[in-house]
Amino acid sequence: MNILTIALRNSRKKWVRTLLLLLVFTLGVVSIVSLNFVSRVVGEGLEKKLVSFGANILVSPISEKLTVSYGGFALGDMLFDVNYLDERDTIARIDAIALRKNISVIAPKLVVMDRVQGMAVAIVGVRFAQEKQLKSYWDVAQGALPGEEPAPAKKAGGGMHAASTPASAHTPPPTPAPTPAPIPAETSPTGLAQAAMAPLGLPKDTYSGNGVLVGSAAAAKLNLKLGDKVPLGKTHMLVTGILAPTGSEDDNVLLADLTFVQNAVGRTGKANFLEVAALCSGCPIEDIVNQLGAALPNVEIKTLRNIVEQRMYSVHFVKRLILSVSLVILLTGCSMVGISMLSAVNERKKEIGILRSLGFSRRAVFSIFFAEAASIGLLAGVVGYLAGFAVSFRILQVLELSEGATLSFEPLHLLATAVILALLTSLASLVPAWKAAAIEPSEALVTL
Amino acid sequence: MNTAATAAPDLGAAMNASIDQAPILHAVDVTKSFTQDGTPTQALKGVSLSVAPGEFVSIVGRSGSGKSTFLSVLSTLLRPDSGQLTYNGFDLTTASEADIDGLRHRDFAVIFQFHYLLPYLTALENTLLPFMRGLKPVSRAQKERARECLERVGLADKGHRLPGQLSGGEQQRVAIARALVKDAQILFADEPTGSLDSATGSTVMELLSQIHKDGLSVVMVTHNEQYASLSDRVVRMADGLVV
Ligand SMILES: Nc1ncnc2c1ncn2[C@@H]1O[C@H](COP(=O)(O)OP(=O)(O)OP(=O)(O)O)[C@@H](O)[C@H]1O
Ligand SMILES: [Mg+2]
Repeated sequence: MNILTIALRNSRKKWVRTLLLLLVFTLGVVSIVSLNFVSRVVGEGLEKKLVSFGANILVSPISEKLTVSYGGFALGDMLFDVNYLDERDTIARIDAIALRKNISVIAPKLVVMDRVQGMAVAIVGVRFAQEKQLKSYWDVAQGALPGEEPAPAKKAGGGMHAASTPASAHTPPPTPAPTPAPIPAETSPTGLAQAAMAPLGLPKDTYSGNGVLVGSAAAAKLNLKLGDKVPLGKTHMLVTGILAPTGSEDDNVLLADLTFVQNAVGRTGKANFLEVAALCSGCPIEDIVNQLGAALPNVEIKTLRNIVEQRMYSVHFVKRLILSVSLVILLTGCSMVGISMLSAVNERKKEIGILRSLGFSRRAVFSIFFAEAASIGLLAGVVGYLAGFAVSFRILQVLELSEGATLSFEPLHLLATAVILALLTSLASLVPAWKAAAIEPSEALVTL
Repeated sequence: MNTAATAAPDLGAAMNASIDQAPILHAVDVTKSFTQDGTPTQALKGVSLSVAPGEFVSIVGRSGSGKSTFLSVLSTLLRPDSGQLTYNGFDLTTASEADIDGLRHRDFAVIFQFHYLLPYLTALENTLLPFMRGLKPVSRAQKERARECLERVGLADKGHRLPGQLSGGEQQRVAIARALVKDAQILFADEPTGSLDSATGSTVMELLSQIHKDGLSVVMVTHNEQYASLSDRVVRMADGLVV
C-alpha cells in the first residue's frame, strides 16, 4: 500500500467510469495499432515487390492489342498478333550498353497459352537460374525448382521428378524417364550471352529439362500434384515443384525451362519479353532506360516501379485516413478523461481536504489524480495493443492481404504504446489534477 | 472543573502540564475575515490562546462565534490574516508549505464533526492513510500499529470493512484511530460528537479523554457543556473574540 493504492482503489470503486474510459482509449489504440500493423504488412508486401522488381525494366516488342498480361507484359492476342524478340540478339545488345555493370539479371521469357484439362493457362518459359535471382521471395512449397534437388525434409515424391538430369541414378524412375527428343543438348542461344555475363557472377543456366514449376493458384485450380504430366505441344512436362503463394502473377501460371518451351512450340531462340533487374536501389534507372532504348530500337522499355509506387501511394492514403480517425477517437477519449476528472475533483473535495490535513503535499494530491489517469492510459495501451495485434491478424487473414509478409509481435512497441497512452491520458488530467492540488483543506473540510 | 477561562495564561488550568513549561501551541491576536458575496465577515477579531504540553482545552461558544475558524487556524488548515502562531517556538505564519505539510503529517492530528473517511478504503486502510503519502509502501510495523489503534478504539474486528458498512460512531472512531496512528503531539477536534447520539458521543468523548491522559494535547470545539467539563480548561468565544 502506498499513494498509488488510493488512485487504484478509487478507479475500482468507480468501475463503470473507469471501464468506459478504458473502452474509448482501447478502441483508439486498437484502431491505430491494427492500422499500423496491417498497413505495415501490406506495405512490406508491396515493398518486397518493389525490391524484387528492383529497378526492373521490361523489354518487350511493341504490341498493339492488350488483352492478356503477365508480369506487366501485354501479351496481345496470343494466337495471331504476337511479336517476338530474338533472345540471343537482345541479350547481346543489352550486354553492350555502358551501364552494363549496373544490371544484375537479364531474364528472358516466352509465354504460351495452352489448355490444361480444358482450362486456359499460361505456360511461361524462363531461365530458372536467372528467375530465382530475380524472385528472391519464391518459396517452393513442394518438390523443388526444376533442375534442383528437393530439400531433404520435403522428400515425399519429389526426388524422382527433379531427376531429369542424368546425375540422379540412385532413384530409378518407375516409368522410363520421359526425356523427350526435342530438347537439344546444346544451350546455344543463351549460352553465348551467359558466357559474356559470367564475369559478373551470373550462374550458368544449364538446365533444359521438362520439369515445370506450378504456381499455387494454378496447382489448386488444375489439381496438379508432383509427378503429374502436363501436355505441351507434341510433348509434355513433368511437375517437379509447387510454389508457395507469392501474391504475384506467378501464382496463376506454370513455369518451365525456356529452351524446352521454345522447342516445344517451335519458337527456338524467341522470347516475348525480357526482365532486366538493376543491381542497386537508387541507381541511374533513367539512364539505363535511355541506353537500352538506344541499343534496342523499335522495342518498348518500361519500368515496373511506377506501378507498385502507385499502389504504395494508395496504401499510404488509406493509412492517413484511418490514422486521423483514430486520432479523433483518442482526442475524444482525452476530453472524456479531462471532463470526468474535473467533476471528480469537485466530488472529492473533502477527500482532498482530508489528505491535505494528514500532511499530503499538493504534489501528492496532484499525483493521485495523475496516476489514476495514467493507469487508465497504461492499461488501455497494453490491452489495445494486444487486441490490435489480434485484430490485424484476423484482418490480414480475411482479406488475404499479407502478400507473403508476416506479423511480428514486438514487446518494445507494446511498451512504447502503453507509455504513450499513459502520457496522453495524464496530459488530459493535467488541469483537473492541478485544480485538485490547489484545494485548501479548510475550504473542503470545515462545516459552518 | 474550571469553567472560568480567560485568554491570559490560566494558573489553575494545567492538570497534566506544569505551569513553567513553554506552551506547545501559542496564538496571539489572530484575525481572519471572509468575504462572501461582497460583504466581509470578521470571523476572528484578535484571539489569543496558549496550549501547554499535555493540556486539554475546550472551546465553546454560540454558533457563528468563530470556533471552527479559530481551530482551523490553530491546526494550520487556514492561514490567518494577521497575528502570530507558534508551535514549540516555531513560527507557523511564515513557515513554508513543505514545513506545514511535515507538521500536519507528524505532529498534528485533526478530527471533524463528520468522519471524512475515504469511502473506497477499508477501516484499516483509512487508519493507515497517513503512511500512504508517498511511493514507499506501508511497512509491516505500521500495519501492526494501525491494528493496535483500531483495537484501542474498539474496532479490532472491523478493520476490513468499508466506511459505508460502519455506524456513525464507528466511523468517528476510525477517524480517531487514524489520528492516533501517527503518534501526534496535539489533537484538534471540531465537534467530534456533533453528529452522534449521546450514548455514542459519550464513548467517543471517553476515548478522547483517555488519549489525553496518555499525554496528548487536545484542543476541542464543542457545544456540549458536559463534554467541555472533561477538559482542563474551557475557552469561551463570542463574536470572533475570546471572552
Ligand atoms: N469559508 C467561509 N466563507 C465565508 N464566511 C465564513 C467562512 N467560514 C466561516 N465564515 C463565517 O465566519 C463566522 C465564523 O464561522 P465559524 O464556522 O468559525 O463559526 P462556529 O463557531 O464554528 O459556528 P458553528 O458552531 O455553527 O460551527 C461565521 O459568521 C461564518 O459565516
Ligand atoms: Mg463550527
